Amino acid sequence: MTALSLTINGTPHGPIEVRDDLSMNDFLREVLGMTGTKFGCGAAQCLSCVVIVDDPAGTSTTQPTCVAPAVSFNGKSIRTVEGHAKAGQLTALQRAFVAHYAFQCGYCTAGFLNEAQVLLERLEAAPIARAGLEQAILEALDGHLCRCSGYVRYHEAVRDVVLAEPSRYLL
Amino acid sequence: MQPTRRELFSWVAASGITLGLSRLSPAAALPFEATQTLPGRANAGLIGRARIDGIAKVTGAKLYASDFRAADMEGWPATTAHALLVRARDASHVYEGLNLDALPAQAQPTKVVGAADIAASALRTPPFYAGDLFCPIGQTPLYLGQPVALLLFEGFDAYDRARIAFREDKALVRFGAETGPRTGPNYAALRFTRIAGPTPEAPDIYSPLQEGWISPGFTEGGGRPIWKPLPTAQGGDYAKGATYGEEIRALLAADNPDLLVLDRAFNTQSVDPMFLEPEAGLGWYEEAAGALHLVLGVQSPFEAAEALDYMLAQAPATLRPTRLDLDFASLGGGFGGRDHTPFPLYAGLAALFLPGKPIRLAQDRFQQFQGGVKRHAFQMRSQIGVDRATGRIAAFAADHVLDGGGLANYSPSVAVVGATAAAGIYDIPKVDVTTVAEHTRGVPAGSMRGYGTLQTMTAIETLIDEAATTLKIDPIDLRRRNLLTAGGRTMTGNPWTVSVRTPEILDKLEAHPIWRDRAAKKAAAPAGVRVGTGVACCTKDYGTGADCSLGRVEIGPDGRVTLQADAVEMGNGIGTATARRVAAILGQSADAVTVARIDMYDALGLVTSGDPYAMTQAEQDAAAKNPRWVPAISSATSASIGAHVSTQAPAQAARIIFRFGLWPAALDLWGIKAGDPREFLWEEAFWQDGFLIMSGLPPLAQTAIAARSHAMKGITGAMAHAFSRWAWAQAAFPLGGLDWAADIDALAVRQGDGPFEVIDRSFVFFPPTDYNRIGTAFTSSCGTAVRVEISVPGGEIRIAQAYSVFECGEILVPELVEGQAQGGFAMGVGYALLETLPPFEDGPGNGQWNLGDYVVARASDLPLRHLQIEVLPPVSPKEPPKGMAEVVMIPVVPALLNAIYDATGHRFQSLPVTPAMLRKVIA
Repeated sequence: MTALSLTINGTPHGPIEVRDDLSMNDFLREVLGMTGTKFGCGAAQCLSCVVIVDDPAGTSTTQPTCVAPAVSFNGKSIRTVEGHAKAGQLTALQRAFVAHYAFQCGYCTAGFLNEAQVLLERLEAAPIARAGLEQAILEALDGHLCRCSGYVRYHEAVRDVVLAEPSRYLL
Repeated sequence: MQPTRRELFSWVAASGITLGLSRLSPAAALPFEATQTLPGRANAGLIGRARIDGIAKVTGAKLYASDFRAADMEGWPATTAHALLVRARDASHVYEGLNLDALPAQAQPTKVVGAADIAASALRTPPFYAGDLFCPIGQTPLYLGQPVALLLFEGFDAYDRARIAFREDKALVRFGAETGPRTGPNYAALRFTRIAGPTPEAPDIYSPLQEGWISPGFTEGGGRPIWKPLPTAQGGDYAKGATYGEEIRALLAADNPDLLVLDRAFNTQSVDPMFLEPEAGLGWYEEAAGALHLVLGVQSPFEAAEALDYMLAQAPATLRPTRLDLDFASLGGGFGGRDHTPFPLYAGLAALFLPGKPIRLAQDRFQQFQGGVKRHAFQMRSQIGVDRATGRIAAFAADHVLDGGGLANYSPSVAVVGATAAAGIYDIPKVDVTTVAEHTRGVPAGSMRGYGTLQTMTAIETLIDEAATTLKIDPIDLRRRNLLTAGGRTMTGNPWTVSVRTPEILDKLEAHPIWRDRAAKKAAAPAGVRVGTGVACCTKDYGTGADCSLGRVEIGPDGRVTLQADAVEMGNGIGTATARRVAAILGQSADAVTVARIDMYDALGLVTSGDPYAMTQAEQDAAAKNPRWVPAISSATSASIGAHVSTQAPAQAARIIFRFGLWPAALDLWGIKAGDPREFLWEEAFWQDGFLIMSGLPPLAQTAIAARSHAMKGITGAMAHAFSRWAWAQAAFPLGGLDWAADIDALAVRQGDGPFEVIDRSFVFFPPTDYNRIGTAFTSSCGTAVRVEISVPGGEIRIAQAYSVFECGEILVPELVEGQAQGGFAMGVGYALLETLPPFEDGPGNGQWNLGDYVVARASDLPLRHLQIEVLPPVSPKEPPKGMAEVVMIPVVPALLNAIYDATGHRFQSLPVTPAMLRKVIA
């Protein structure tokens, strides 16, 4: 057992005693009741379970939670789907997902949202040429499975968020 | 407007158990205002154009059955226990029990439930799932993946350890002597034969519609049906049809130089629906109250309730609740795989055998592969005879063998639908199709998007392409020469009763640059790349022949609209589509929309009896004398019925509110008196930006009309039931001094703020029971063109460009329609090129399958920016919605196969076509 402490969506949690082999996904869903992070495969293949991990240097990455022990997140700061909107106001990305009908069943949406948010933040830090945008979106999101939508509208939604503020994300 | 979390509708089933079904409202993670399924005022820009569940889905609200724990449920104990369903990975040896001694102490269950407990408790298996709920010790499992025991754990950690242990250690489930697989009778064996008359107008010489559906009744030693007519006195009906069928076979076998005959074998694979949310349920047996509470996620709530009731009906008092309270959540995908699934039975058992403690049963992905229903693998032999001079198809014959796995589930129905679709979009005067769904030791197969037609239309559409190549006729031209058009008879002898758009679809395909420029693209292929283009055109029925819709709509004095419907939200956007259809009638987007509600219609007092698919006309006529009787009360959300069926009752209810509530109020506001000729021109009025517009009269605000309607005690709420058996049931109701006729069979209305009161129908017409002989009456069509590029020598295939064109009548929500088509295209690509589950011991029943081995299409497998979707406009402004969610995936598969042939010169007749297979033919 390990006493786990971490920050989720800006809120400190812990220390909480957890089994060393308890997955991060089960920690979020079973221990904390935060079921916005989904369980899809348990094999890091569908990526519906990814969360955003913010490192102290200011960069962020996504990480699957279904195969990662919860204790591997000890001391880290993460963001989940529950943390994107603030005070009832959706982010531009969330609004775009909704307005584009990007998802259907929505079970993969948390994973896509987190991955696309990290992409936006990366583009903001290191803008790219407009010509490379579609490929950048494809490479960022390609690991994520969606069984319903055929992906088209997810990609269009992310692209439109970028193109709505080209000076922020593009060279 | 926040709906209460659990509002229960109750009735007493035949068993005496009170059933309560309700819709579980989302539990929001964030303080969003208004109903959490609607955008809310803070996101006003999304109102009216977003999915009604959009906000909930992008904020992580608890929506799905897998999201809920005991602590989320009002009035439940706070702690959740966990259940593990252990399944057999062997179906050839005797099951000898669990080896729990080998399980670590920290992974020991509190309780183990097995076949002996089921037998001791007189718990019954519902007929639809006939077969033991658990394999008894001492018997060979009926199929791979059959449950052997349900392990109950009071804590999560022990459950979690045991879950992994059972996956990794085969020895925990003990098997003994080898017996070989168990055998079972075929689930269905049917023959569909039609011989057309000498002219299109002449009656058929023989058809299933005229003569009924026939089954041979005799089997060989190996279990296969004997299809040839036997010289026995028994089975005269079969012999008559089979004799005609054999004539068609003889025609195709004859040495006739004028007839091109192609005789091909096709094999299509088993696949998994692969909805992203594995099945899950939460239960609590509240012994003191005698109530079994369950949270479930299924496409068929009514069926789940009935199945649970049947299972429990004869149990002893200690295990027999007096009340079943069922809450239904949104689904993380369905695709048919959650329609009539036995999973709710096991969730119920988990709760019953750990009384007093909420318990969760949730499958992981390995378990979902092992236990979830699959698409049927088909073996098909198809023969087509085409007149060389005219290009007209003279005859078609096919033999289908379906692997149904170890439980019947929907195998008979899939066999029928696949067989009756085998002639595709064509007008063929002589058709003979046999189909048999076999019992095997495989994981049970059931409903899945495409429902048998995906397999059989892939066969016909590749055969047509081969015939065109052989006869040197343009493939689209050959299709055009043989199209079944409006009024023509299908292979069961009935015409399609809806618009037939295949001629336009073929025109669109022919004119599209993918097809038009195919030769130039092929000629311009770079070195190391083979380029090929293919087309296909298919049609798919929507509806099952006994489909229902329940809807309740109300308008407040402030103009706010609330609506409830019984359809289940599985990603298809049914709530959004219903809201749009109602908004067009009432001039206002709904302020509260709830789907999967079966608990709001008690005022209708509905009763039912008999089997709507099998009852006689006399039975129906007798039952219909009861004004509360309907052929069925609620349907599964399946068979592409969302737009056509599920929106029907709410839309009809809204029309009644408009006609008898808002319209009289508008007349009053305009000062139009009785006797004025404008009194009855209600159909000429229309809504625009919240105002009712009528030529020559001032626009009226919807809110003002609603307020006046309430003041006048007009009709401000209506609930209705609709039933379709390839035609709507129609009834008339006395309203406003008129006999109001509508495509519904039950109605209750509310006046002002008064209670709902049922209105007795003054007339009712239920579609004749003979319609059960129809194969397909409601159908919609789709065509696909694709261009592929295949690398040499690697065999990697890239879809360079694709185009799908289809029709769906009235387009309720264009974004949803287009999204379904995009998703259908992706699923078609997966089926044609990627997905496969081997049968039996190497297949999913072994419990070792996950997404590392089972390959689903990702974005990079698809032509995201080069996929064009076109939806034909409705044939008229009043054409009703048509189902389209299935047909959009079907032509993708044969179009890809035809394109691969064009690129390689090889026709693949086994799926999926992999790079390894391609390498062999392009080397």
